[in-house]
Amino acid sequence: MIAAATASWALLARDLKAIARSRSQLYSSILFPLMLLALLGTGVSSGLSPTSERILDGDYTSFLAPGMIAMTALFSSTFSSAGFYRDRESGLLRAMLASPHSAQTILFGKALGSILIGSLQALTVLVLAVVIPGIDLAWQFGWLGGVATVVVTILALNFMLSGLSLLLAVRIKTMQGFHLIMNLVLFPLFFLSGAFFPLDQVPTWLEVIGYANPLTYAVDLLHYASYADSPEGLIGPLIDGLVLGGLAVALFVVGLRRAPRAV
Amino acid sequence: MSNAPTNSLDSVLPAKLSGAAFAWPGGRGVSDIDLTVRHGEVVTLLGPNGAGKSTILKVLSGEIAPQDGDVSIFGAPHGPDARRRIGLVLQEPSTDDLMTVQETLQLHGRLFGLRRAELNRRSTELLDSLGIADRAHDRCEALSGGLRRRLDIARALLHHPDLLLLDEPTLALDPDSSDAIWETLRQRVTEGIAVVVCSNDTAEAEAHANRVVMVSEGRIVAEDTPRNLTSELRSDALELDWPDADDDDVAALTRWPGVGAVLRSDGGLHMTVDSSAEVVPRLFESYGAQIIGLRIHGSSLRDAWFQIVGRPLAEDVEKRQ
Repeated sequence: MIAAATASWALLARDLKAIARSRSQLYSSILFPLMLLALLGTGVSSGLSPTSERILDGDYTSFLAPGMIAMTALFSSTFSSAGFYRDRESGLLRAMLASPHSAQTILFGKALGSILIGSLQALTVLVLAVVIPGIDLAWQFGWLGGVATVVVTILALNFMLSGLSLLLAVRIKTMQGFHLIMNLVLFPLFFLSGAFFPLDQVPTWLEVIGYANPLTYAVDLLHYASYADSPEGLIGPLIDGLVLGGLAVALFVVGLRRAPRAV
Repeated sequence: MSNAPTNSLDSVLPAKLSGAAFAWPGGRGVSDIDLTVRHGEVVTLLGPNGAGKSTILKVLSGEIAPQDGDVSIFGAPHGPDARRRIGLVLQEPSTDDLMTVQETLQLHGRLFGLRRAELNRRSTELLDSLGIADRAHDRCEALSGGLRRRLDIARALLHHPDLLLLDEPTLALDPDSSDAIWETLRQRVTEGIAVVVCSNDTAEAEAHANRVVMVSEGRIVAEDTPRNLTSELRSDALELDWPDADDDDVAALTRWPGVGAVLRSDGGLHMTVDSSAEVVPRLFESYGAQIIGLRIHGSSLRDAWFQIVGRPLAEDVEKRQ
């Protein structure tokens, strides 16, 4: 157990070093959501003057901020998963799997890096988003409760995405294929997650798809903890937590269990 | 190399395959593989690309489990204890461009549970022995292919393995890198570790292997010391570019005095003879108009391969040409 923890820690430390040296990846994962927040938020707020009651004071930038935090986790997770392919293509993953540890230990160590990096980047966006007037982490649970809810949500989201990446990486052999699938699946899921528009005010068919979407529950919980001033129109923390937590655990465990020794 | 040193570690065989078989999707694979690897010997799995050498190595390393037959590593089925005693070098350099040489070894050492002091001592010793100590703090992206290969070897030896598995470790390397690698390996072999090398280089196998296992189309077709494999050969080998040679020509040549095996290959004939000086003039007298090229060399393992398998070891021929 201690040996496995040491191995996972060594892999985590190595991935953190790698991301620190790959600065373009580090910056782009944070800058793109912030850029979208500034441009799209300001553009829609000023150009379209949204009047929905879910968009407080017509400030679309504030409404967008929780979704952008989720998007940062999504981007970061995708980039980190590319590291899995890089290691597979370079043969380094095979060399790691030749160690005495189980494939699960090795992939857990690698997944930890992806989760930690994704979470830290999402939290960085959160810290920067706090200056936006509509973001209020204290409205429902107080400051500490609000921050804790956001942190736990981000961690659960990253665990879920990491589990999904593991499942995909076992089946999809090339990085190009992986990115294609991620773009085909994750971007539509993200657009239908309530990050860009409230799901309770769209046609029923779109609402149904939205509620079948796992990301919806992460975005809803982030809205609940950091933006809304009433629970009206939101799914609520209990259901959000159950769905997000359940999926995070299930996908991560299944992803690890399916890990083969030969890659 | 001559005979293997006597067993110096323990009496349990480092590796034993009994009737092992594995088929990849699409059909390729290996079958009926019986192989024993002893302490203090270098076993070369010799064969062309796709013959099944790497599959055998993957079975030995535990990366894949045989679908039939048994694999025993140090007297037990494959598992974490076996992997702890195995060093693996893959066919291509397997390093991360963003990591330094030192970090690559540190990561590996920690995965194998080496303590910091031991890890540092061992890293220094191996980098010195392989001639890359001065590059310890360079990122792998700055290393040449040869230096990366040396790093692969250092990593594989870091945790004191008793069985070292190498997939074409010196392929496309400069002579300096190749020599540095074999010098390090020879030293470890005298200490008693067992080495299994995949190769399609007959000269390398002849120079370094205690035992050569010829692998063709997923099966072991011959296994012996290089000396025994070549002992039956005549002293010279002739490779004739003779596109129109037919079975009658082969039969006629086989009856000539001083001629050993005569085999047809794509576009020509391969012969072993007692004396090329005697046979070649007669060849040109009789068939000069049909022979468009001739290469003469002393008989070697590549000729043994030709005679046993019935065709040249393609990659080996390409390399020499």
